Amino acid sequence: MTRRRLTDHPVAGILFVLPFFLVVVVFLVVPLGYAFWLSLSSKSLALGTRFTGFDNYVRAFTDPMLLDGFLRVVVFGAVQIPVMLGIALVGALALDAITTRFAVAFRLIAFMPYAVPAVLGALMWGFLYSRTFGPFADLPTVFGGAPVDFFSAGLLLASLGNIVTWAWTGYNMIVLYSALQGVPRELYEAALIDGASQIQLAWRIKVPAIKQAIALATVFTVIGTMQFFVEPYVMSRFAPQISAGYTPNLYAYNQAFAYSDFHYSATISFTLGFVVFVAAYAFVLVSRRRRGDS
Amino acid sequence: MPAIKCLRKAASVLAAAGLLAVTACAGEPDGGPVTVSVWAWYPEFQGVVDAFNASHDDIQVKWTNVGTGPDQYAKLKTAFTAGTGAPDVAMVEFQQIPTFLVLDALVDMGQHGAGEDEHLYAEWAWGQATEGDKVYAIPVDGGPMALMYRKDLFDQHKIPVPTTWDEYATAAERMKAVDPNAFIASFGSDGGWLNGLMWQAGCRPYGYSLTEARDRVTIDLTNPACEKVIEFYGGLIGRGLMATDPFFTADATAALDSGKYWTWAAAGWTPGYVAGSLKNTAGKWAVAPMPQWTKGADEQGDWGGSTFTVTKQAENPEAATVVARELFGTSDQAWEIGLNKAFLYPLVKDVAADPAFTGKAYDFFAGQKVNEIFVPVSEKLGDFNYTPFQDFVFGELNDRCAEAVAGKRGWDTVLSATQENVVNYAKQQGFTVIEPS
Repeated sequence: MTRRRLTDHPVAGILFVLPFFLVVVVFLVVPLGYAFWLSLSSKSLALGTRFTGFDNYVRAFTDPMLLDGFLRVVVFGAVQIPVMLGIALVGALALDAITTRFAVAFRLIAFMPYAVPAVLGALMWGFLYSRTFGPFADLPTVFGGAPVDFFSAGLLLASLGNIVTWAWTGYNMIVLYSALQGVPRELYEAALIDGASQIQLAWRIKVPAIKQAIALATVFTVIGTMQFFVEPYVMSRFAPQISAGYTPNLYAYNQAFAYSDFHYSATISFTLGFVVFVAAYAFVLVSRRRRGDS
Repeated sequence: MPAIKCLRKAASVLAAAGLLAVTACAGEPDGGPVTVSVWAWYPEFQGVVDAFNASHDDIQVKWTNVGTGPDQYAKLKTAFTAGTGAPDVAMVEFQQIPTFLVLDALVDMGQHGAGEDEHLYAEWAWGQATEGDKVYAIPVDGGPMALMYRKDLFDQHKIPVPTTWDEYATAAERMKAVDPNAFIASFGSDGGWLNGLMWQAGCRPYGYSLTEARDRVTIDLTNPACEKVIEFYGGLIGRGLMATDPFFTADATAALDSGKYWTWAAAGWTPGYVAGSLKNTAGKWAVAPMPQWTKGADEQGDWGGSTFTVTKQAENPEAATVVARELFGTSDQAWEIGLNKAFLYPLVKDVAADPAFTGKAYDFFAGQKVNEIFVPVSEKLGDFNYTPFQDFVFGELNDRCAEAVAGKRGWDTVLSATQENVVNYAKQQGFTVIEPS
């Protein structure tokens, strides 16, 4: 009786969806709408607030500092993402191939950096990179080379890439490893009976079988890279080479909280969100078409 | 348009939720003492608050430390933009006063009698905190600059203590010949420090007056007095005589404490700071007046310093003004803590001139009475203006210097590039910009 009344009632469905709907509206739709509305006006320090339509967007797309930041993040991602996902994939395949107790311990150790908050990770690496306290800066001097300055203009992006790779490789590895667990073992047996080597087994059977997981990990990583913020923000204390507009997200932060320009900050954030959305969607579309699903 | 209206409504609903939380903690029971909320980040501030609360029945201070400098300003700016959430009294550094004024965030304490305090404070500080009879801030501490140097190393190698910047460069070369791993100092990526050096060189790059015209600003970073500072330091860096670690990092502190850096153009608050953080080299340092650009001149600069302001969101501006004026003011108890525990350089003239301060011998400086050097500097400091967007200017200056350090631009283009970007920004913000040609 009770069950029937509950499910038959037209309000029931709405009630079930309501909590989720409320959260989405309050924490996603409203802030997004508010940010967009902010981005359509300008508050100049001298003249006060006025509606300026898409002027802020024109400014954003012609702002050399923002464009530099975008370019920097793209270059960063183009190198860091393949390296990180490559290591994660090799690690996951290795984990899958060995089934000793060591594998369990290794899984845990690889995952650990992900459990360290990004701020702490960046601070920790800041000290590891230090010329005075760090173990790495003087390493080349052992072989007669010059000490390394990890914060110099030439090495900075690589230093940041190392932190991100350190933090996220284990996470991605676990994602890919979990996907591997779902692949039917019969496939492996069949391949082995056909005379496949372990390498062939990995490359020809396992990798294609977890393509979707790899694509998912890539999408998440691309989104994360576009929003690159915590590491450069924390490291800017050590590294003067990190400018106010080093990454678009850092630029948005500085516009709002250092230069009190919340409107332009909203514009940058909105543009960034849009680019991320388009990039992620394009990637999904392309990878789907490759698989021939569409 | 209806969409915008709807959003506005939604936004105000959210803001109201925030407001509720804020008003809930700003308790002010009828008949009881008025509670004034204060944001400040001085170390050892609790004792100052306790002293104020003990000596006032009608007003009680509720202090919160929301973070140092930029962290607190970010929260303040958010609160002013939201229209709610700011404290009654906020600690604000001198270079930020015009910024908060143009955001219309500060109360004129002159209306509540703060003008009476003029005679108490160092003139340069009062000048930066006020305009005519409008009092926007009550000065607390300053940072008159002088040269900290490793007396033991200079003596040991018979290098004379520089009295001019030319001699400073010569000392840097002689020092390098003695110890190739050492640097005369570090170029610290600190806008305020660089500003102090330019101030000392006679550079006055900014002009702004809220009472004359709130939308008119002068930007003159490329004048010769400013250029000579940047090119001088750029030259030292280029010749490998000056390091580039940012100040207050573990690396810079270790370098000061290990003989890697031989000098530091420091400020009146530095003796307290270094005594706490440099343990290895305690007793080996001394303080000398800043090297001069012209031999025999007596030009001085300031690095840092702070004030108390009353915000427009204060529920009781009159009570808040009392707090701003009297938290330190001439309170013996507060200054006892301020001088001996928080290591502030006092801008109250009587406190700075007191033999208890000027005659204080520092173990860190081998018994030298260093305030005898800082006090005359503070008395020499003249007028200096800041822009209403000083964060942007310092940010630009630091970024362009970083490019020069990295070899991406010549030091001779640092200030012209900064000038161009700052002028563009100012125009973007609706200011009429005056550029001396």
